[in-house]
Amino acid sequence: MNFSFSEDQILLRNSVRAALDEQCKPAHVRAMMEDDGRGYSESLWGEMAKLGWLGLPFAEEQGGAGLGLVELALVLEEMGRAAYPGPYFASVVLAGLGLQAGGSAAQKERWLPAIASGQARGTAALLEDSLDWDPASTTATATRTGAGWRINGLKRFVPWAHAADVALVPARAPEGVSLFLVDPRAAGVTVTPMVGIDLANRWSELRLDGAAGELMGPAGGAGPVLEGLLRRAAVGASAEMLGAARRCLDMSVGYAKVREQFGQLIGSFQAIRHRCAEMLLEVEKAHAAVYYAAWALSAGAEDAAMAASVCKSFVSEAARQVCGDAIQVHGGIGFTWEYDLHLYFKRAKALEPLYGDAAYHRELLVRGQTA
Amino acid sequence: MDLNYTAEDVAFRKQVRTWLDQNMPRQIRNLEERKAWHRKLYEAGYLGMGWPREYGGQGARPMEQAIVADEMARAGAPAPTNGLGVGIVGPTIVVHGTDAQKRRYLRKILTAEEMWCQLYSEPNAGSDLAALRTVAEDKGDHFQVTGQKIWTSGGALADWGLLLARTDTAVAKHKGISCFLINMRQPGVDVRPLKQITGSSEFCEVFMTNARVEKEDQIGRLGEGWGIAQTTLGYERGGRALARITSYAGQYNQLMNAARRLKRNGRPILDDAVTRQKLGRIWADLEVERYGALRVLTMLERGEHPGAGGSLTKLSYSEFEKRFMEMAEEILGPYGQLTNGVPPEFRLEVDTAVGDHGTWAYAFLWSRAGTIYAGSSEIQKNVIGERILGLPKESRADRVGGTR
Repeated sequence: MNFSFSEDQILLRNSVRAALDEQCKPAHVRAMMEDDGRGYSESLWGEMAKLGWLGLPFAEEQGGAGLGLVELALVLEEMGRAAYPGPYFASVVLAGLGLQAGGSAAQKERWLPAIASGQARGTAALLEDSLDWDPASTTATATRTGAGWRINGLKRFVPWAHAADVALVPARAPEGVSLFLVDPRAAGVTVTPMVGIDLANRWSELRLDGAAGELMGPAGGAGPVLEGLLRRAAVGASAEMLGAARRCLDMSVGYAKVREQFGQLIGSFQAIRHRCAEMLLEVEKAHAAVYYAAWALSAGAEDAAMAASVCKSFVSEAARQVCGDAIQVHGGIGFTWEYDLHLYFKRAKALEPLYGDAAYHRELLVRGQTA
Repeated sequence: MDLNYTAEDVAFRKQVRTWLDQNMPRQIRNLEERKAWHRKLYEAGYLGMGWPREYGGQGARPMEQAIVADEMARAGAPAPTNGLGVGIVGPTIVVHGTDAQKRRYLRKILTAEEMWCQLYSEPNAGSDLAALRTVAEDKGDHFQVTGQKIWTSGGALADWGLLLARTDTAVAKHKGISCFLINMRQPGVDVRPLKQITGSSEFCEVFMTNARVEKEDQIGRLGEGWGIAQTTLGYERGGRALARITSYAGQYNQLMNAARRLKRNGRPILDDAVTRQKLGRIWADLEVERYGALRVLTMLERGEHPGAGGSLTKLSYSEFEKRFMEMAEEILGPYGQLTNGVPPEFRLEVDTAVGDHGTWAYAFLWSRAGTIYAGSSEIQKNVIGERILGLPKESRADRVGGTR
């Protein structure tokens, strides 16, 4: 039993933090938020490739580092802490882990080294207009045409689809729900921005009108891959929310040590001190939930599915609470565009409903106990 | 990071489980039977495990202690007795006591030959413990103690007490307190049970009038009592970390069974989305408590002391227990309030160390105590704010000057 990071894991976290502190300052995040183009920095992307982050969980023969979900969660936590603007989660977690779990040898060979080297970006289109995360709810259709497939349907809230070279798309074939690889820039695909409150985390609508799809895995057999991917995405998103929450806590404590009202530092008032203590407790619990689940999924532990749902249901609300409390501790300055707090508040908010919100995962927990 | 138990720990757990299967009493009817069970646990090496070997302990690892407590919770084993003696008084004597004190007191704590209580809180010194007014006056060959203590758990059974009393009223209040061992079986000590909102009396009031404390029963130096008390409050070494969660999980399962039986609008409430959300939330919270316990155990196994981090743990589980019991009451409705005449399917099988209070109602009422005793949630938040987050202290008038 050892619930602490190894030296290598601490080194990884420190190097990710140092790199993002240097290259992903709030000014950079703001510049990308206002960027009319892709909304992320190609040079930082290239840097991430060099540092090995883009292939971190892939096998070494696919250009990866062969590391596990604990290491990936460490990186994602730092990305949340920096409100990193870019397709890291979409490429590495959604497309990368999806391909790793369900792709053929040829598909992995085609995409994973390209993602790891920074040449290609990917995403996954897991939501439709109904917002149902259950793979069985898929209404997009896939029809066989000669050698290939044509996909029709509407996908929404697809992260960084405008920057993606490949998207994993669930669609209903005659055999059942199946997974397809779709080129978002190909004919029959219309990508329309959906602009949310987190401008550093871009979404699109994906309209598929007879778009070409390449089957991934057996026709009708997408369920297990999608369920596994959903769990990993839920834990990955939780790691990012944890990072955002920790940043909000740090900023609040820092502010409470310098801001004076009534002739005293506001941190000396119990109303503020107790709120900060509660925020720390939530952050520490979120930490335990994220890394337990990441370890359980990596190790294939018996309670891995449960741990993923515990994690997402807990962290979704803990991060919301902590980031919201941070605005309250700051008072008026925390409500300004100019102050950086809202970057992290919005990142946590954006991820809260994704990959199953708290209520969705609580239902999964009880279903697991009553089935 | 590896959250599997080691082969060694798995084997140890199996050994404890087997021993409990063969030795656990079915029922404890009185204190003598509880003491007998206590001694049996001690003789098997399952009690005072973390104490150094030279004083009758096993020098066991924190994980081994946690596993024993966890297996006892899993089996629904009765608790041993003398919890404050084993958990707080003994370790205090180990750290701060003289050789003579160690020889005199330690082993009898482990064997429950001498029962102990802790004489800290007073009617006007609760959260502000350092405001205590009980006085110990130096009479040359002994100290003479006068004052009132309250919230003394196990006071009625205790042979001895660990006492905080004021020995100097001229200095700042934290600096005038000293620590003593006091014989509870003497004319100057009057113990009265304190009836709590549960209807039972785990706690007592203790009135001391010219009670006698021997010179050799002073712990540490005069005026060092506050510092000693701070360390004793930190002796919660995570021994019950897992057991607590296992007990909650057992109660959760009983709650699920109740939710299968109870109905709303003609359907079991277990099929009701609102109920399922409540259950799911509590289960997630409970699991997060378990992960937190594993984190604490990891630290202890590495020989690190959680320090002020203990405040996070205590705040977390005591507040969780309150939420858990509130939710249980929502599910159980009026069944959750029954103290007598409880139908078998709505009983809560728990050992309460005082007898026959195995009901949800008792557990619910008792959950109100956890966020008050051993430092209220508000005090824990002060500690967390000041000692972990480094937030500024309040300006407080009582940090300077005397108490006279």
